[in-house]
Amino acid sequence: MTTASTATPPVVQLEAISKSFGPIKANQDISLDIHAGKVLALLGENGAGKSTLMNMLSGVYPPDSGRILIDGAEVHFVSPRDAIDAGIGMVYQHFKLVNSMTVAQNVLLGQEGSFIIRPREMEARVGELAKRYGLGIDPATRVSTLSMGERQRVEILKLLYRDSRVLIFDEPTAVLTPGETEHLFLALKQMTSLGKAIVFISHKLKEVLQVSDSVAILRRGEIVGNTPRNQITSSADLAKRMVGREVLQEIERGEVIKKEPVLQLQNLCGNGLDNLNISLRKGEIIAVVGVGGNGQQELVNVVTGAMAPGEGSVQLLGRDWKQFYKRPSWRDTIAHIPEDRLGMATCPELDLTDNVLLTTRQGFAPKLFLNRTLALDVTKTIIRRFHVACPGPQAHARQLSGGNLQKLVLGREFFRRPQIIVAEQPSQGLDISATEEVWHRLLNARTTAGVLLITGDLNEALQLADRIAVMYKGRFMDVFDASDEKKIASIGLMMAGVSP
Amino acid sequence: MMTEMLIPLLTAAVQSGTPILFATLGEMFTERAGVLNLGVEGMMIVGALAAFLVSLATGNPWLGVLAAGCAAAALGALHGLVCLSFLGNQVVSGLALTILGVGLANYLGTPYIGKQAPGFYAFDLPFLSTLPFVGKIFFKHDALVYLSYVMPLAFWFFWHRTRTGLALTAAGEYPPAASAAGLNPVRLRWLGILGGGFLVGIGGAYLSLAYTHLWTNGMTAGRGWIAVALVIFAFWRPGRAVFGAYLFGGVMAFQLRLQASGTQVPSSFLLMLPYGLTIAALLFSALRGRGGSSSSAPAALGVNIEPEQ
Repeated sequence: MTTASTATPPVVQLEAISKSFGPIKANQDISLDIHAGKVLALLGENGAGKSTLMNMLSGVYPPDSGRILIDGAEVHFVSPRDAIDAGIGMVYQHFKLVNSMTVAQNVLLGQEGSFIIRPREMEARVGELAKRYGLGIDPATRVSTLSMGERQRVEILKLLYRDSRVLIFDEPTAVLTPGETEHLFLALKQMTSLGKAIVFISHKLKEVLQVSDSVAILRRGEIVGNTPRNQITSSADLAKRMVGREVLQEIERGEVIKKEPVLQLQNLCGNGLDNLNISLRKGEIIAVVGVGGNGQQELVNVVTGAMAPGEGSVQLLGRDWKQFYKRPSWRDTIAHIPEDRLGMATCPELDLTDNVLLTTRQGFAPKLFLNRTLALDVTKTIIRRFHVACPGPQAHARQLSGGNLQKLVLGREFFRRPQIIVAEQPSQGLDISATEEVWHRLLNARTTAGVLLITGDLNEALQLADRIAVMYKGRFMDVFDASDEKKIASIGLMMAGVSP
Repeated sequence: MMTEMLIPLLTAAVQSGTPILFATLGEMFTERAGVLNLGVEGMMIVGALAAFLVSLATGNPWLGVLAAGCAAAALGALHGLVCLSFLGNQVVSGLALTILGVGLANYLGTPYIGKQAPGFYAFDLPFLSTLPFVGKIFFKHDALVYLSYVMPLAFWFFWHRTRTGLALTAAGEYPPAASAAGLNPVRLRWLGILGGGFLVGIGGAYLSLAYTHLWTNGMTAGRGWIAVALVIFAFWRPGRAVFGAYLFGGVMAFQLRLQASGTQVPSSFLLMLPYGLTIAALLFSALRGRGGSSSSAPAALGVNIEPEQ
């Protein structure tokens, strides 16, 4: 841990915090100090446990074990309200603003001094506060007319107005333009110089280097590094620290003969995609890695038929996109394993049989009516073969844990004998055994299909993929063989948009 | 000649527009807190009956008005129970409220049909009533009409210049923002339902204590529904509600006069006029709203507040 590089005691101390959700250890034995006047960056992939940790600090839920100390005194937050009262505020990715109200009204909502409010006075106060912290904004404008960056400034002003001493920023630059990002960073400087403590959650290396005083790296729920900024030499250095090279989980890959191409993208543009070229063959897994929001969703939407391709050609099983999706057969074609398990992949309030029928019903309706008896049998078989722990096929999807739900989804999708499989974050939030099972299933699927794996977990990509495509701002920075050590070492850089 | 015909018509428009104005402002109050209450018709008629009964029993019409507000708010509380406490469907609950209210008023009111209760009577406001033209139209009415003149202004002030009004708007626009500000959006919505209900009740009271002084079954005759439509027509703004209410009042008064004048047009068509106008008004607001006036309807209108986590 950091030794006392700063003379002042930390505002917030986290001591040996642990938190589990069922079998998943979201946070394990985490200790962190947050200092006034400093920016602490919390770096890690999706599902690394950043949000869990910050939710505990902002009072959303309590830790299973460990202590939170503020100014050296232990606190127990019951609700976010308590955390706010203790001076800890969070700028969420989803702004909690009333669009039809002005900036000043939003900032003062619930904080007005008197029953009758005077807009001029409110606006003057908010304007002054904005000026002091370098957050240029007109307090009299309506939020609905503001840009994302300006809305974020309103959120920040809300916290500053409540005299928050610790401000937590959850991926604050995700919604910002480059110019707005610069503006935010200046404001962060201003805030720290006025004594605020900042926690900056991100997975963008450059930004972390630009703003932070120290960097804590989270991986799989644990702190794997906590380093003062001045000891980090470059973003490549940081990338190495974040990605790590020690393999957390090994899996026997086995070799599969690669056959004919099943999915071909040629100069695919539009929808935020930028000239994508790739050919996925039966028998191989291509992992698309990158920071979330760099076009992965759009790519998946086009390939799975949810969104028409802009320019360029998309060939699925040798047919043009338009032709393929005119009358897609439920069987022998394409299967999608969505990231949103309880919502897109399944309906929480339906039983497992109905959930199996969601994508396979054509197979059970030879004429007008559904053959439910057959569907029930198939569901039972899936439950048995894929080891879905559940009360039975009559259970509702929401009753299942994430891992079991994912196994059910895999079982359902494999029942369709797909030749193309699009898997998004298939092991996110799963425990180790469930992750292994999902990995095995995907590897085995290669014998009959090509797999397009969208993942934010580099380890997953390295374990499963034959080839790796790094995505940044809608384009592939590079597509390379998964055995190319040199390229692998620079994945972190490519994810940050740097061509090595 | 023209003004001689116009002044009585406009005076009547104000008078028959007043109950609609109260009901519209009441529903607007509820909707701006994010709750859609289609029970206005039922609450209004229960208010009308309560006003009539209490005024009959006590001889004091003001107590009648108070009773009307309380009765309508109590009926609204049922809506609150269904939608705020048990997260029921707001549309279904509101419709049920109307059916319940109308049925209840008819059942309890039947023995009083044709009876007369002490109510409100017109009096001239000093000075103002002597103004040319407007004096005759606006300042020769009863106390409730004068009260209704103050309401839109008071509401504008409440929504834009008071802490509670701001909080109420937040509860109707985006409850998470209200929660994040340390407010309780569910409690604010209760205020919206009860406060709005009280006003709707006064609208009902106007019908049985000022517009007429007797009780007849079904005396609201769809005015509650018109109020619901007017809230949309008014884009949830009190100023436009005044305009809308008097427009409808005018059409109602006009068709009565036309009937009395012995026109060839069948009376059924004339009776249809206000409701036809309702559809036209909704069409108008839909067309106007299509341009993207996103700031009109409360964003979270009709959306229940799910408990957090």
